[in-house]
Amino acid sequence: MSKADNSPAHDPQFRTHAGLADHGPVTSLQPETTQEPNPERSKAAKVMTEAAGLLRGPLRVFPLLLKLGSDKLRLSFQARHLYAYASTLVPTETALRSTIGWIHAARRPDGGIAAYYSLLTGYSESYPEVTGYIVPTLYDFARFATDQSSRAIAEQATRWLVSLQMPSGAFPGGLHGDNARPSVFNTGQILFGLVRGFAETGDANLLNHAAAAGDWLDKVQGQDGAWAGVNAYRGSPHTYYSMVSWALAQLARGAKDDRYSRTAERNLDWILAHFQPSGWIDGINLREHPTYLHFIAYAIQGVLECGVLLQRDDAVRAASRSAWVLLRKFESHKHLLGAYEPDFSRGLRFTCLTGNAQMSCVWLRLFDVTKDLRYLNAGLKMNELVKRLLPRHGRRGVMGGVAGSFPAWGAYQPLRYISWGCKFLADALMLEERLVHEFEAASCGS
Amino acid sequence: MRIVVLCSSPYGETGCAVAARMAQSGYVPAGAVTLPAGDRGTLLRKLGQWGVRGSLRYAWSKLAPGPADQGGVRNPHLETALKHAGKALRNLHEVARAYGFPVFTCAGQNSPAAIAQVRQWSPDLLIFTGGDILRKELLAVPRYGVLNSHLALLPEIRGMSSPEWSLLYDVPLGVTIHYMDAGIDTGPILLRRKFPHAADCNSLNDLRNRMIAFGMELLAETVAALDKGTISPLAQADHGKDTQFFVMHERLKAEAARRLERTRQTSLAGKANA
Repeated sequence: MSKADNSPAHDPQFRTHAGLADHGPVTSLQPETTQEPNPERSKAAKVMTEAAGLLRGPLRVFPLLLKLGSDKLRLSFQARHLYAYASTLVPTETALRSTIGWIHAARRPDGGIAAYYSLLTGYSESYPEVTGYIVPTLYDFARFATDQSSRAIAEQATRWLVSLQMPSGAFPGGLHGDNARPSVFNTGQILFGLVRGFAETGDANLLNHAAAAGDWLDKVQGQDGAWAGVNAYRGSPHTYYSMVSWALAQLARGAKDDRYSRTAERNLDWILAHFQPSGWIDGINLREHPTYLHFIAYAIQGVLECGVLLQRDDAVRAASRSAWVLLRKFESHKHLLGAYEPDFSRGLRFTCLTGNAQMSCVWLRLFDVTKDLRYLNAGLKMNELVKRLLPRHGRRGVMGGVAGSFPAWGAYQPLRYISWGCKFLADALMLEERLVHEFEAASCGS
Repeated sequence: MRIVVLCSSPYGETGCAVAARMAQSGYVPAGAVTLPAGDRGTLLRKLGQWGVRGSLRYAWSKLAPGPADQGGVRNPHLETALKHAGKALRNLHEVARAYGFPVFTCAGQNSPAAIAQVRQWSPDLLIFTGGDILRKELLAVPRYGVLNSHLALLPEIRGMSSPEWSLLYDVPLGVTIHYMDAGIDTGPILLRRKFPHAADCNSLNDLRNRMIAFGMELLAETVAALDKGTISPLAQADHGKDTQFFVMHERLKAEAARRLERTRQTSLAGKANA
């Protein structure tokens, strides 16, 4: 795989260019000291690489045209209104099974999960970061549906992840096979899988690997609590690294070691200073890329979950303030924008489906924490929105997949079905099922 | 007291019943403003919402008369208001002919044409029965204000699906008559009354129908009280809490329905014991 394909899936690398994807590998994980390529030239190279994918697999042109046509048609007839997502057209369990089916099908021979299925180039290589945080989702589904195959895939994925750990304890950024460097964000995301793997299997070796990763994160953390420098995306600190803090808080609990809590809390304090009265979070810091909803949701989710684990009410309050701003936008307009400008003043008109599924997770968890039913209501409706956009038919890589953007040519991960989108939707759907059943049971008891 | 009624559609039963009820209590509207019945936007929206079959069913439910034993009225609790000379009035134009007031059809209630027409009628009061979110320009036209009948107690439950949210939050069911302002259900309150018939309702739809009729009676009472000067508005005291609610998802609605049924069963058991 050429370097141009090796885009870290979580990174905001995709913009449309002449109708095709600019799948630029902004390699978040590349240090700033390396020489930046000529952007125009690299953009052209990326477009060429993507287009060449169609030459290698000409039959892909049919699903591609089908997707473009159906999204165009849906856009033409779509009219959002008050009752847009108040009823269930696709049963939650059906959608959940098809989404998990997509993840199963995206497993690569090495045991990792592909970052995406591109309508132009097919499956990507395994992606360590996403594989790491898909592991808890697979375990959750294994419990939810008593599905042993998900458990087996999670265990295999965990073994593969362990094999990638660097001597420092860090994990590499980028797709597997990339000439990757240690990455704070990816290490944090992989930590989720290791900690959960330990909790599920009791394998002390996994805890040792997780602790090594946690130690490295502690070591490279700045004095202000942020992570910057060569191990951070473009060398800058980022508030969406709250996900790393959440993973560290989980490690602290699993390893019963407060050192990791303190590291997480230092970062949390730094992030909380970036929350604005408008609910906006400064410091997401994607440089020349728009602030996609995916990253805003990361920041909120990380702060919320970290706040819950560390019993920090200030963090939960800050997260809920931002989540409420987005809830009101969703309820008023029946959609969220794919990317926002500071203070949510305006944004890009496309749908970032992953961001939507993440916001659903945030709202559902906020219902769990606050018992405010409006969060549950918004989560249910957001799940309806995303479920309706899941392909019910199609080839492997398409059916049950969550697209990067709706329409497919939107700015975030265009023309791709992405594994982390499936992960977040599966999380949201399982949360929905659990919370609705708990709520109904509590109502019957009252 | 000169009143103008704002309706979401000439076939909307609530708007027709309110206009008729006002006329019956001696306040024949100076006019009524309605949105068109079948504009392109509405049709597309309904198609997207329910598909072709569902949209046809909806259109039929709007155009066809209700069951014969309800006098051709879909909400049986509005039957008395909609009955005129032995037959049910089926749309706003029939109500207008029966009671002698003009109807103005417009693309939007905030459109310059609608505002100009309302100004020409120089109303003391507007009564909102559905349609657009009203802008300040229209809200400022009537001498007193724009009345709305909200199907919940304010300020506890604002916004959409309010009877259902009241059930889920154990807030007593009720209706509030208030003046509209730029916010969602945030205007000064004129009348607030608990709904006494919850135990008689056998479904959420039945509850809503009865509450609409209850609200219509409260509107008539409010208009008369305003005319006599025996009522004055009271600002809402919400202590800064955001109490706006939104359209409820059907999974939560199912729970609201179960709670309503429990209320009914408890009431029936109480009656049996008595």
